[in-house]
Amino acid sequence: MILQFDSLNQFMTMDGHGVYVWSALIVSGLFLAGLVINPLLRQRDVMLEIARDQDREKQREASKREKN
Amino acid sequence: MNWNWFYRMGSPKWFFYTTSRWLPWLGVLTSCLLVTGLVWGMAFAPEDAKQGNSFRIIYLHVPASLLALAGYFLMATAGAIGLIWRMKLSFMVMKCAAPLGAVLTFLALFTGAIWGKPTWGSYWVWDARVTSMLILLFLYLGVLALQYAFQSPEVGNKASAILALVGTVNIPIIYKSVDWWFTLHQPSTIKFTEAPSMHPDMFQPLLVMILGFYCFYALALFMSVRVEILHRERKTAWVRDLVSQEAKEREGVNS
Repeated sequence: MILQFDSLNQFMTMDGHGVYVWSALIVSGLFLAGLVINPLLRQRDVMLEIARDQDREKQREASKREKN
Repeated sequence: MNWNWFYRMGSPKWFFYTTSRWLPWLGVLTSCLLVTGLVWGMAFAPEDAKQGNSFRIIYLHVPASLLALAGYFLMATAGAIGLIWRMKLSFMVMKCAAPLGAVLTFLALFTGAIWGKPTWGSYWVWDARVTSMLILLFLYLGVLALQYAFQSPEVGNKASAILALVGTVNIPIIYKSVDWWFTLHQPSTIKFTEAPSMHPDMFQPLLVMILGFYCFYALALFMSVRVEILHRERKTAWVRDLVSQEAKEREGVNS
């Protein structure tokens, strides 16, 4: 295995093809990251929502007990 | 034959707890494979004699396209299992596979378009391979849209499962399109029956990237199915226990 580029500059420009290669890489990276971050955020939201529902239920039961 | 494993696999609770144990390992494995494959492919693989450095897009384009196709098979199979055995979990997998596949198909088309500019001289060509991939994107979007087109989610599940199954006919067409028609798209690099038409120095990083994308697909699919499970099973005892336990832990950290 040999490193194909002599300098960082050459690696970035890739003989004029750098724009294509790096833009493909950046866009793919963003979308793939989105596919992992999105479920993480949704999971947090769903957990919080369920916790809120449980709290509300508990309060309702407590107020019912007070009335009795 | 003992079918217990099959029914246990259909249990959302079992799926959730099993993937809880797998996810950290899968995350580490995915990152290692993708980083290794990218560094190898971008910096160490030799440059292509005809296409120069633009060929390095292959390390994104081929894995994304492969997973777009494999993901469609998975989605259609999950839909079929859901229709036949009325398995809730199976429909959840189908539902979560649709946006995942749509993004991968989009990426395959996008990286292909970028690759097309320096290679073919144009971003877009109505070539058999490209057009059939575009149809795949619309199939994914159709399955996604049908989910929400009905009042009851059960009807939506069945309708999109049927669309997914009918659309399966497109998969062999995409796969064989480069052989059946005279296309601008180059023939497959990787074949089932022959050795790859690529030098090992170029092929090995591609293999690492493909494995990485498979792991990534599993990771993203599991994560999204888990959210679906929590949402659908929010009234069950095990989800309520899980949530109150996490809430307690959060309070413990805060205080």
